[in-house]
Amino acid sequence: MFGTTEMQINMGPQHPSTHGVLRLELKLDGERIVDTRPVIGYLHRGCEKLGEDRTYAQAIVYTDRMDYCAAFAENLVYAEAVERLLGVEVPPRAQYMRVVLAELQRIASHLIWLGTHAMDIGALTVFVYGMREREFILDLFESYCGARLTYNAVRVGGMPEEFPEGWVEEARRFCDVLPSRLDEYHQLLTANRIWLARTRGVGTIDGKTALDWGMTGPCLRGSGVAYDVRKAIPYEAYADLDFDVPIGEAGDTYDRYLCRMEEIRQSRRIVLQALDKLPGGEIRGKVPRRIKPPKGEVYHVNEGPRGELGVYLVSDGSEHAYRCRFRSPNFVNLQALPDMVRGHLVADVVAVIGTLDIVLGCVDR
Amino acid sequence: MSKIVRPEDSVLRRFLLLELFAGLWVTLKHQFRPHVTQEYPRERPELRPRFRGVPRLRDHPGAEGPLCVACNQCALACPDHCITVVAEDRKGGKGKQPKSFHIDYERCCHCGLCVDACPTKPITAIYMSHDYEMAQYARDDFMTDLRGLYEGHVPREYKR
Repeated sequence: MFGTTEMQINMGPQHPSTHGVLRLELKLDGERIVDTRPVIGYLHRGCEKLGEDRTYAQAIVYTDRMDYCAAFAENLVYAEAVERLLGVEVPPRAQYMRVVLAELQRIASHLIWLGTHAMDIGALTVFVYGMREREFILDLFESYCGARLTYNAVRVGGMPEEFPEGWVEEARRFCDVLPSRLDEYHQLLTANRIWLARTRGVGTIDGKTALDWGMTGPCLRGSGVAYDVRKAIPYEAYADLDFDVPIGEAGDTYDRYLCRMEEIRQSRRIVLQALDKLPGGEIRGKVPRRIKPPKGEVYHVNEGPRGELGVYLVSDGSEHAYRCRFRSPNFVNLQALPDMVRGHLVADVVAVIGTLDIVLGCVDR
Repeated sequence: MSKIVRPEDSVLRRFLLLELFAGLWVTLKHQFRPHVTQEYPRERPELRPRFRGVPRLRDHPGAEGPLCVACNQCALACPDHCITVVAEDRKGGKGKQPKSFHIDYERCCHCGLCVDACPTKPITAIYMSHDYEMAQYARDDFMTDLRGLYEGHVPREYKR
């Protein structure tokens, strides 16, 4: 008489807290989640195929559109992969400029994550404050390359332009303001009982399972696995810079939150160090006007704000890549979602999607 | 590598709702801070010098005739293939000049690669303007010809 049946409902693709067009097929027992199936592909634009149709310089423009919250990281990893194919050395000044911009991008991306994650859970204030600080960074990028979201701010072999006059001082001013603003976020969230109730013990994943799923970035480090591409395989100028990689313990949403908050601080440290050490000299390496790498293949990774970004390129000696493939951390991290939400309530799915920090543009590509 | 620090939990703090009041204190302080938002159509953003709006064409008083030499480099560099150049012989001189020059603003992605490719250095014939209000009623209106590229986009005044 009171027999229960499992119910299947759709969450998304038009749902405000799925961060885009993610559809989840939830199998529910009452309010408890029995199983979840992420259905993706609603934002597929064929960036990889376009990367095979356009020249190497043109394809950078399409990497902007994949992870639109962290376009610079995608620009960078693609340009680095082509540089490795060509065997081009990037001048030290360009390397440091790349580090500065990549870390600013990481801060901006984490601020979006913080804002949207907190808003999903119900803390609207942090979203507005986070967007305010992000505006500083967007202004810095606008000042540097002219765009606020889709930068196209890396060229194969170096950087397109010098920092404009006063840019370094402006970046320093932002770094001066940031810690006090971070303290405010901590005051709003970290000890807040509602925040704790919604995040502690929610979406727990242990280090081994996270590794088995191939998770990277803050999602993996929140589970206590110390893996960061910047430390493991240092690229650009990261080997010369001193920074910590925060590691969590429990692997729940709260630990990942603390990890990312600490990463913002560390990124700020890197930006300040890189600005201090900024060497003079050239910003463009010797790259021919028509980029024609020799035959070969390359797989290159770097640490994006969401995890390990990878590019696999096969060159057949022409102006276009023969094969172009992106390893998107969002796509890989999303696969662990069913494991993380099993047994939780429907409302916790929203928290877990927020903590995974997915960008659907990068999941679907 | 460093372990993250979890804040300590204290019974007294939980009992007195201290952390909630700390949060309220932050929002209260913000009531007295200056506004940072812009009320867009009324207030215009201050654009940085390098801002990349839609690409346009320009001349230079030092150069004779149009600055553009119709070399088609911008059209080749464009990832969206939105530039079409037809060349003709330059009037009263050697070389070429554009007979017609079309940019499809509907497809343009404002990447700035056309400006990089332009050979008329240091002042490039094609440049990223500061025009950014590009809404149109019809698709054909996005196709911009030589005249439109020189004069730029004049935002339409709307009346009730």
